[in-house]
Amino acid sequence: MDGILTGPDLGFSFAAAWQGLYGMAYLPVVIFCLALVFGTKPVKAASAALSVGIAFIGVVLVIGMFWSVLGDVSQAIAARTGIERDVIDMGWPTAATIAFGSQVGLWVIPIGLAVNIALLLTGITRTMNVDIWNYWHFALIGALVLAATGSLVMGLGTVALIAALSLFFSDWCARAVQRFYGIPGVSVPHILSVQVLPIAIAVNWMIEKIPFLRGLDANAETVTRRLGILGDPTALGFFLGLGLGMIGFLDLDNPVTTSVNAFAVGVSLAAGMMLLPYVLKILMEGLIPVTDGARQFVERRLGKREVTIGLDSSIVIGHPSAMASALILIPVAIALSVLLPGNRVLVFTDLVVIPFIVALAAPIVRGNVVRMVLIGTVTLTLGFYIATALSATFTLAAVDAGIAQPANGTELTAMGDGFVWVTYLAVALTQGLGYAGLAIFAALIAGAFALLHRYRAALERAAGADDPPKED
Amino acid sequence: MTEPKKVLVACGTGVATSTVVAQAVQAAMKDRGIAIVTRQCKASEVPSQIGDVDLVISTTPLPKDLPRPAIVTLAFLTGIGKDRELEKITEILSR
Repeated sequence: MDGILTGPDLGFSFAAAWQGLYGMAYLPVVIFCLALVFGTKPVKAASAALSVGIAFIGVVLVIGMFWSVLGDVSQAIAARTGIERDVIDMGWPTAATIAFGSQVGLWVIPIGLAVNIALLLTGITRTMNVDIWNYWHFALIGALVLAATGSLVMGLGTVALIAALSLFFSDWCARAVQRFYGIPGVSVPHILSVQVLPIAIAVNWMIEKIPFLRGLDANAETVTRRLGILGDPTALGFFLGLGLGMIGFLDLDNPVTTSVNAFAVGVSLAAGMMLLPYVLKILMEGLIPVTDGARQFVERRLGKREVTIGLDSSIVIGHPSAMASALILIPVAIALSVLLPGNRVLVFTDLVVIPFIVALAAPIVRGNVVRMVLIGTVTLTLGFYIATALSATFTLAAVDAGIAQPANGTELTAMGDGFVWVTYLAVALTQGLGYAGLAIFAALIAGAFALLHRYRAALERAAGADDPPKED
Repeated sequence: MTEPKKVLVACGTGVATSTVVAQAVQAAMKDRGIAIVTRQCKASEVPSQIGDVDLVISTTPLPKDLPRPAIVTLAFLTGIGKDRELEKITEILSR
């Protein structure tokens, strides 16, 4: 009788499994409903929802393996060398999983759309952000605020504010992006990329003052030819893993064991680099009925209004300057990870997304590779300290989303968006000042829009737009 | 039954915008009765992946002097000029 009343003992508690598994348990349901709302047929909506659930299972499995191997090797290195790097860069696919798997993740699409439509109709922004997939960046920062403050309202408020902030940045750099990359009508409201604008402007201004540095540049094509191998995620994962394994498990008396261990680490980490985006693609595919539907929803409602279309910064990172400077920045990031005092972050997974971090500096420095590397170095240096400061919050948000922390006790972050000052600002303000912090953040964003409306031409030039053409 | 045409779809990550393009092109080619298989990659991987493909479609700039036909387009993301791009793709794949 008891068995019937309490359910069979399956060795785990349904309540415990349910709690925390927002991504796996709720997101498919939400995706199903949203897909129906946006006019998808029930069968297709159900299949999309199921792939979202499947993707979550897959991504959590891969993260579990990847995090545990990276954590083990980082602990082995710490034991051997005393260099403690116990916050693992698990990459943007992990960050996106945390984002969509969190309690705020369920709300990000309706909130993002509502903010965008409201700011367009009031004429505050000119951007229509149809890159619904990347709304996960808003959700991630919201999830971190939720983890830091324990308040769902603050988490959701942050989602709305970050959505607005991304539109501000998109408006600001639109003309620069359009002129430099030759893509009319388009901009990139992508937090991981737009964050570089203020840093790039400041660093470039300083470079202009330094006589020798001012004249330096490097040929993008040559750099890409020489360092191209670094741009291959699996090769990078393997060789970096091999190197880390060698340092962590070196035993001069047993060269065979050392080699086997190092080789195993290399193959496991190459597997992580390959599989993580692969399983995430299933999530992306599952979301397509919703992202497509949402895009058509805004387009229908805003009709023929003149707007800048906001897209993924993925569309600009193929530029030779972004590729070349990002390749140089891979070894720079590894060196910074080892050398920076007080840093706890082991960079790894997101070494391949450095192009996203530097791409929008290109219009400001007219594609100068040396300057982009310097801007990237400053951004990353700052990023290591931001990620170290936020690591406990990031890890808590991951656990909340259903990702299990490995036995080695390491924490996690992701270069995108754990290295980003916008993330730090949002978390620091809300954690430190509560609702007052949220209000200050809102005021800052409103102020930024006001400045842009007042001094548009000058600010657009600062972001790298050429002088406006004389009436043509 | 002819071999399906191979289309390589590239973007910055090989995950996000390339998935949107791959799905849109698959659907459109199915309507036109052209059998295709798509594969996705990062723009930087195109030179090493291009060997056996009939067409490359990318949302981001591609390296120069590729040995196969390549189209760089935002039409499948913005919806603007989509039909014209589909005509081009159909023409290349019908050869």
